[in-house]
Amino acid sequence: MPNFPPVDGSEEAHEPRDGDERPMSGVEQSDLELVRRVQRGERAAFDLLVLRYQHKVVKLVARLLRDPAEAEDVAQEAFVKAYRAIGSFRGDSAFYTWLYRIAVNTARNAMASRQRRPLDYESDLSESEQSTVESRMRHSDTPEAVALSDEIHRTVNRAVGDLPEDLRTAVILREVEGLSYEEIAQAMDCPVGTVRSRIFRAREAIDRSLKPLLE
Amino acid sequence: MTDQIREQISALLDGELAAGETGLLVRRMERDTELRRVFASYVIAGESLRSPGGVVASRDFAARVSAALAEGGVAMPVPAPERVAGMPQKWRRPLAGAAVAAGAALAAVLLVQPDAGRERFAGGRAAPPVVPAAAMMPVGGASPTLAQNQRLAGYLVAHGQYATPIGRRVAWSNALATDPGIARMPPEVAGQR
Repeated sequence: MPNFPPVDGSEEAHEPRDGDERPMSGVEQSDLELVRRVQRGERAAFDLLVLRYQHKVVKLVARLLRDPAEAEDVAQEAFVKAYRAIGSFRGDSAFYTWLYRIAVNTARNAMASRQRRPLDYESDLSESEQSTVESRMRHSDTPEAVALSDEIHRTVNRAVGDLPEDLRTAVILREVEGLSYEEIAQAMDCPVGTVRSRIFRAREAIDRSLKPLLE
Repeated sequence: MTDQIREQISALLDGELAAGETGLLVRRMERDTELRRVFASYVIAGESLRSPGGVVASRDFAARVSAALAEGGVAMPVPAPERVAGMPQKWRRPLAGAAVAAGAALAAVLLVQPDAGRERFAGGRAAPPVVPAAAMMPVGGASPTLAQNQRLAGYLVAHGQYATPIGRRVAWSNALATDPGIARMPPEVAGQR
């Protein structure tokens, strides 16, 4: 097990309190299970949390910074901070809420730092700095990235539209409405195992459509 | 890769996988890039269904975070201390605040009371002030030692908002008066500061 250094005491490490005890959703429980694994030294579990929340965090940071070119760097920093501070996460709030708070604080710091920084002009940049800027531009809201995001959206919607009705209903109730398997089972009047299978098959169909785009 | 594992990934994403199955799956995913790709693809499908511009992170974002953690040698933090046994979370902060306030009040009493108490006692009009036994620091009788004064002054610096102005002033006066470093400082050196 790794030797954990102490949390840096930053504001981000503080876990917001939700007040009274509240029931956890399945996703929150799943996140908490992954967090516990990270706390026990399983780095791979943190990779899954990054995969799960990367789009949400990058989107949030991009909105706050109003500078898409910087969003991924700041989002990356937020995830690194979250990893460092994860030992202090007790599960009093949803992991996502906690992560959001870290992302917001990291974005705020980035904005403050930007205000202190003199303006950069391309002509003043060294070759390596120029390369960094170009690298950043590749990652974010470039026209290509926006076009890809739109294409992904169209592809997913087309794939969902082509699904059999029972698979489409199940995946929409899960992904868009956020219902649990139990709730979907009640709504669709079928066993929970069937819901699980339908959602999986729907995702497989979407994945087959998406794969060429994402490779 | 079997459909069973992919179905487990789907259930994990929804928080519907049994806790006992999660560990093995996480370890499998750590070794298998295709399983991680599937997980990421399911996430993208969900994000995209929820909002048109929902997929914004670049393809290699997660890999870069992982590399940053590995290359930077970022170790994980110490797990948080266990909860205080039998004490609900919501009670801890108020109790801590009350303890700080009580401690500050006690410090102020100890600093101000001794003289006033002696005067009243000497006059025979009132009994000596009753101080709880637990509060009887080695203050009574002799003057407070340097260490005691410094400790009290430090305490008041940290919790100054709870202490009375008189208490703060007395603590500082005592600490400065008994500090040998200050006493030994020649006036010309003091003047340079």
